Amino acid sequence: MTLDFSFIWTAFVKLLPAIPNTLYITVVSVSCGFIIGTIVALSRIYKIPVLNQLGTSYVTFIRGTPMLTHLLLIYFGLPLIIDGLAEKYGWSFNSVSIPMIGFAYISFSITAGAYLAEVIRSGMLAVDKGQLEAAHSIGMTTFQALRRIVFPQAFAAALPNLSNSLIGMLHGSTLAFTVSVVDINAKAQIVAATNWKFFEAYLAAALIFWGLTIVIERITAWLEKRINVYNRGGVA
Amino acid sequence: MIKLTKITKSFGRNRVLNGIDLTVEKGEVVAILGPSGSGKTTLLRCINYLEKPNDGEISIDDFIVNCRNPAKKDIHALRRKTAMVFQNYNLFRHKTALENVMEGLVIVKKISRDEARKLSIELLEKVGLGNKLSSYPSQLSGGQQQRVGIARALALNPEVILFDEPTSALDPELVGEVLAVIRKIAKEGITMIIVTHEMGFAQDVANHVVFMDEGVIVEEGHPKHIFNSPKEERTKQFLARITPESAYSI
Repeated sequence: MTLDFSFIWTAFVKLLPAIPNTLYITVVSVSCGFIIGTIVALSRIYKIPVLNQLGTSYVTFIRGTPMLTHLLLIYFGLPLIIDGLAEKYGWSFNSVSIPMIGFAYISFSITAGAYLAEVIRSGMLAVDKGQLEAAHSIGMTTFQALRRIVFPQAFAAALPNLSNSLIGMLHGSTLAFTVSVVDINAKAQIVAATNWKFFEAYLAAALIFWGLTIVIERITAWLEKRINVYNRGGVA
Repeated sequence: MIKLTKITKSFGRNRVLNGIDLTVEKGEVVAILGPSGSGKTTLLRCINYLEKPNDGEISIDDFIVNCRNPAKKDIHALRRKTAMVFQNYNLFRHKTALENVMEGLVIVKKISRDEARKLSIELLEKVGLGNKLSSYPSQLSGGQQQRVGIARALALNPEVILFDEPTSALDPELVGEVLAVIRKIAKEGITMIIVTHEMGFAQDVANHVVFMDEGVIVEEGHPKHIFNSPKEERTKQFLARITPESAYSI
């Protein structure tokens, strides 16, 4: 067996149109996950009754089960719920009109939310309690203090972990092929199906994922440098 | 005028403040002295509600907060009337010296950025840091950071500035520059309450000294009386230990 270099290139070019799907899934799930994660992290840090317990259960259940399982649960479970409700209340809407990628968005947001909740919580706990006290002492409300003083510092502290999660979700998005969403990996399978050169096709897919990951790493490094200007200097 | 009435505070079953009554006149400089664990810092932190008193009443002029069940907006209002200088400075780490002073003006007092900048620069010049406007806290020495902290408190033009052991975390060499700044603003008639271990400074700058022990005020009065002719046995004991005849101080 010889490696067909020219087919690697052919596959590479054919995979490019699938990049948007991969990026959509990654960006949507990480963005929604960030919002869910922030709410969960705040509920846990401030021990808000009910939300705190709900958040804790959510994090342990989601982190305790595989991402593929979440996707399948949503894919098979959500239509049951929606169609059941639609029948009961006489909606014209039903689950068939949900695009396949929608299931990936929903389930991966739930997955990302649980992981990001812990990343955000660790970032916030890394900010010295005195910062919040100082903000209160100059008359800020807790909301102002969180937004202007705690979050920016928490973000800086959590940045390496955030980029880790982002890369994890980028790679995890390949699971979307199980619900017939054509992402980069699924496209590689389709491209190879015509001539059975699977190795070349997946190699091309690997190169694209690596490239995307390098972009994320570069952006993180740049952000880190920019955000952490205040950390230079000798006195702590 | 600031008036504390029957302030009590417990941490779990440990009673830290045991019914504190204290009146501070406008323009007074109050020094709170006492051994570690006597509740002085807790008392100070109760005044702006960084610590929640269990009971009692805090009033500043006509504004009264009932500590048994205070409204959220009352706590906020109380914090806007007070400012605090912390033992470990607590400057906003991601903001420059200038931004640290401007923050309260722009966000809390809603003053325009230009005006806030002008006022903040003036204040930083006053504490001798006119050349450090764009330095981050991590680039400043402890003494410089504390002076920024004082400028940040001054900017809010509060009814009272609370100093929580402002020089305890500093190198002996840097204590002087911070005390000099506090002395300077004391002369301007700003009401101040200072928790300190600097006896000489308290004697020199304060015009009202409060000695606390085990959660109560043991004795208070003019520094001359407290330092030279204390009435209570506990005060004598404390002062004897902390100001020995020899000239050195630790």
